[in-house]
Amino acid sequence: MLFASEAPLTSVEIARASGDLSAADVEAAIGELCREYEAQERAVQIYPLADGYQILTRPEYAPYLERFDSISRTQRLSRAALETLAIIAYRQPVSRMEVEEVRGVSAAGVLRNLQERGLIEVVDRAEGLGRPMLYGTTAKFLDHFGLRSVDELPRPDNLEIALKPEV
Amino acid sequence: MRLPTPVSSRAAEADEGFLVDLEQFQGPLDLLLHLIREQDLDIFDIPIATITAQFLAVIRDVEQRLTLERAGEFLEMAATLVRIKAQMLLPRRGDMLEDEDPRSELVRRLIEYEVFREVAYGLANAEAERALHRGKGYIEPRPPAKASELPLEFSIDDFIEAALSLPAPPEKRPHRAPVRPVTVDEKIELWFTALKRKAGVQFSKFIGRWKTRIHAVMSFLAALELAKRGRVRLRQERHFGNLWIYPSEDDEDS
Repeated sequence: MLFASEAPLTSVEIARASGDLSAADVEAAIGELCREYEAQERAVQIYPLADGYQILTRPEYAPYLERFDSISRTQRLSRAALETLAIIAYRQPVSRMEVEEVRGVSAAGVLRNLQERGLIEVVDRAEGLGRPMLYGTTAKFLDHFGLRSVDELPRPDNLEIALKPEV
Repeated sequence: MRLPTPVSSRAAEADEGFLVDLEQFQGPLDLLLHLIREQDLDIFDIPIATITAQFLAVIRDVEQRLTLERAGEFLEMAATLVRIKAQMLLPRRGDMLEDEDPRSELVRRLIEYEVFREVAYGLANAEAERALHRGKGYIEPRPPAKASELPLEFSIDDFIEAALSLPAPPEKRPHRAPVRPVTVDEKIELWFTALKRKAGVQFSKFIGRWKTRIHAVMSFLAALELAKRGRVRLRQERHFGNLWIYPSEDDEDS
């Protein structure tokens, strides 16, 4: 299943598909496979990603894979996109206005773009005037940055400020 | 004709006092942080007069090139800076000692922004690290190319040629209502006459007497009308073959 999948699979998803295995069984089996792949220094390894697991190539092969035109390159995000994602990741669920307040610039275009790329989604609507949409990060966001969960986000020196919601 | 490429703003501005290109800044906060950090200033004790002057100098240089929205963002910050500067100059009365430093809100925003800039930097590293690993057949969706950015690959001559080769618009002709020289009823009469003498009439022979198309059309309509009334039968051997008209049995009896 991990081999056939093009996106990370969670142990719960695998367990559900297999029928008679529990998520814990799957976790244990994946752990075993991981150690096996690693011991054998295989070209692909099982990486924990976005709450699940995915089989990926090892980093040392990246230069070779880059040479194939048929293998798509991942597109790097702009600074505006990265800053916006940083704010959303730490402050989610967060409205467009809050993002704009932190960055001091309009966020509409960036938010639309990130939404189209599936990195953020509307998770809720705020109470109050106009019931503004609240954004949060997606599993694809975690995948894009190689994170298991938002707990693995890059930590700034001043973490409290990042976490402190707008007053 | 190739569209002229805009002159690089970087090159144009590089010689002037501040080596600042607004394009590389995410916004007014980013620019302000740059000015403060570049000159190693204390963020908690910003020399507001100096910074304001520098900030204004930068945006004055590039004002014309900014889009309205971006210009608005920078000008709003400029206004804030000028307001703070004015507040700092005002003599403080005794009862205002408790008041906040007018810079504090700006400082809070700058520090907050700087924190997220740092996180964004960390995310960029994580992104680069993750890009070294490839999954199976994972295809990152590409944003669609903007039509306006497509280069024009033809010359002005091609353009003129294409324009000239277009057919001239048709002249406006007054609408003419054709006067029908013959009616369906007249043709029906003629069919009856023709069928009285023969067991069957070939359509092409029947209309052969007249040269104009309207006669053929009216004859055909008359034949259809008669067939609908059950007075004649129509038979065609094959598609586009000869059409034969026969009087119907009842008619023969009468």
